[in-house]
Amino acid sequence: MDGMTWTVAAPAVGAAFTASVVEVVEAFTIVLAVATLRGWRPAVAGTAAALAVLALLVLGLGPLLGRVPLEALQLVIGVLLLLFGMGWLRKAVLRSAGVLALHDEEAAFAAETEALTEEGRRNPASLDWIAGLGAFKAVLLEGLEVIFIVIAVGAGRGMLGAAALGAAAACAAVLTVGAIVHKPLSKVPENTLKFGVGVMLSSFGVFWTGEGLGIEWPGADLALLVFAAVFLVAGAGLATLLRRPAGEAA
Amino acid sequence: MEILKEVVAELVKMFVADARLSVAVLILVGAVALLLDVGHAAPLIGGAVLLGGCLAILAAVTAATARRR
Repeated sequence: MDGMTWTVAAPAVGAAFTASVVEVVEAFTIVLAVATLRGWRPAVAGTAAALAVLALLVLGLGPLLGRVPLEALQLVIGVLLLLFGMGWLRKAVLRSAGVLALHDEEAAFAAETEALTEEGRRNPASLDWIAGLGAFKAVLLEGLEVIFIVIAVGAGRGMLGAAALGAAAACAAVLTVGAIVHKPLSKVPENTLKFGVGVMLSSFGVFWTGEGLGIEWPGADLALLVFAAVFLVAGAGLATLLRRPAGEAA
Repeated sequence: MEILKEVVAELVKMFVADARLSVAVLILVGAVALLLDVGHAAPLIGGAVLLGGCLAILAAVTAATARRR
């Protein structure tokens, strides 16, 4: 891989890794809540079933990507990345400014445990099934986001493998740390990661959308780094402008 | 069936977390496409409008949400 290619590969792998850390931490919290309440059997069964569905989706839809003309693929993925990335950046700015409350893995764990306990009181016979379903949904939904991000940052330049490697590394890292600490990973600086991912995805969004519309960016792939710097400065500036005193978050 | 509904709802939420942001981005991309194809603007002008427009949309939508809360 030459120097110029690395300017796209490094952000692609980095964005896939960072975004996947955020998503896998969220899924891990739910799976851990299920395992804590009902044991590892329904948690593992639900997770395995979701991973199987995700694998089928990738195997089924993956080959279709190669049949879409590159410009159309770049335009569609670019627009989706703008919608997704700017949505993440908006939320991260609002959280950073204290307008929205930060995501709390301990609270998410407690909420899932409480919901499962409540469901268990109403349907004691089917609690294992409900718990497994909870793990299935969490892994499926967060996994879909990971798949989208991997495709979005990797497909435009044939770097699906590199982006998938970034996502797989994130899964391995979170699961390893999770297995060791065996509690919700509340120390992960989720909003900082989300801010960074929002910046990267928005930059990829502008880049691919522009290429899809026939724009040749000056500096080619290096333009991505300029876009990232611009979005970073804009996001940080917005967070500073909108900052509220601590304790006022909605 | 319930799960399928939740999956679809989650997929929609991925891209339409804020309806105003999504609509504004789609209008911006359409406008840049028109500028390039119909207005025959230089590609770099289109690129500048796309980047500047995204920043303006981000600022406007984020500030509007902050004002409402």
